[in-house]
Amino acid sequence: MSYESQDIEQEILSTLFRFLARFPSKAEKLTAQTSLTADLTLDSVSMMELLVEIEDHFDVGMPLNAMANVHTVQDLADQIKSLLENRS
Amino acid sequence: MSISDRFAELAHIRDSLGSLAADPSRVVMERFLSPTEAVIGNRPTILVGTNNYLGLTFDPGILNAACDAMHAEGSGTTGSRMANGSFSSHAALEAEFAEFYGVPSAMIFSTGYQTNLGLLMGLLKPGDKVVLDAHSHACIYDGCRISGADFFAFQHNDPEDLRKRLRRLGPDAKGALVIAEGLYSMWGDTAPLSDLCAVAKEFGAWLMVDEAHSFGVYGEKGLGLCEEAGILDQVDFITGTFSKSLASMGGFCVSRHPEMKLLRYGSRPYIFTASSSPASIAAAHAALRAIRSRPELKVRLWANAERLHRGLTGLGYRLASPPSPVIAVQVPSHEEAARMWNALLDEGVYVNLVVPPAAPEGASLLRCSLSAGHSFAQIDSIVAAFNTVRDGAAVPLSQSAG
Repeated sequence: MSYESQDIEQEILSTLFRFLARFPSKAEKLTAQTSLTADLTLDSVSMMELLVEIEDHFDVGMPLNAMANVHTVQDLADQIKSLLENRS
Repeated sequence: MSISDRFAELAHIRDSLGSLAADPSRVVMERFLSPTEAVIGNRPTILVGTNNYLGLTFDPGILNAACDAMHAEGSGTTGSRMANGSFSSHAALEAEFAEFYGVPSAMIFSTGYQTNLGLLMGLLKPGDKVVLDAHSHACIYDGCRISGADFFAFQHNDPEDLRKRLRRLGPDAKGALVIAEGLYSMWGDTAPLSDLCAVAKEFGAWLMVDEAHSFGVYGEKGLGLCEEAGILDQVDFITGTFSKSLASMGGFCVSRHPEMKLLRYGSRPYIFTASSSPASIAAAHAALRAIRSRPELKVRLWANAERLHRGLTGLGYRLASPPSPVIAVQVPSHEEAARMWNALLDEGVYVNLVVPPAAPEGASLLRCSLSAGHSFAQIDSIVAAFNTVRDGAAVPLSQSAG
């Protein structure tokens, strides 16, 4: 992975941590491996609201079908990174 | 997840309804007294949650048509049209839908759910792009999901958000499929179809509109919201169901594109499902002719909708939308919604209890669907029941949900 790619990934993760900070967490600390559903107990409504915020921030469209493979913060970051790469 | 885990998950859902003492699956209609009244728990109950918009389920002409068809063509088709062949009644109904809409293509399916599934699975391939209203019915989501297409939700009834979503698709917006409904079944609000259509066309996208709850009740001829919005010549696919205004079971899709009929060769929910029974087809066909020849049904339905809306508004209830055949009372919590739903049933009024996730955006609803078959006396009884059950509420509903 190039430095540039790592930087982008870190920036995405930091942004996600900022968005996710408002949700009650069972985990001691938010990490890339934090589960969106098990640790953060995001219900479907909160998840949809969160997605809209993330999409607006990065100006990308997240396919709902892709969300079936998103379980952790890292999964979400990977999706966003892939969408940004495909856009450019 | 193992099957036993899944059973445990389903039991949890059932128990959560049970803890509210409001499991709608326990409601059994023991005997029908009319299209709008049945005996439930040994008590005559007004039905205001059955989507029987035109009240045609006991219409003598429709019953006779269904009985005659059953005697002439049998009780079932025993297979799919691609395997067993079509009955002339299937083809005749498709021809009448095409003629009614003035389009070259019409197909009928075995249920409303399968209509949207069949259209979407037939049209879409993995990698295709779909932008759908966030409040779309489950069968639209399911059709998109099974097709393998990439699908995105735009904010409910928001043409600007649709524009934003299409813009983000870049070159893929051209040829994407945009999906909206006419009348949304939970809130009872209608789509801004002419604005949505303009945005879709601006990007070169296709437009599909599901008129499941609006066919027969909107538009001068009863063709639905697309007719009322004046976009019949621009919308690409219109779907609908037989199980509401058409008082039967099945669904239809019409299109201005002659190629739509090619879906017979590639829509698995069409190919691999038994075709609708002769009685269902005959009932739907007779109901379609009633919609065309009896505009007074629609007039009566709207008078009832406006009367109920006025009555509930007068009691201080928060309603989700202006008068329409679906009137949804917004309730602050699902526990309160369940209490009121039970109390209404005790008062002899059956409405739909809608709690998250079935209700969009986390609201709980007591959903009423009006019928042309309701009398004004029944509407007044429904309002009186809502007045009685409100008295048990801790705070007036008009002040509670902020």
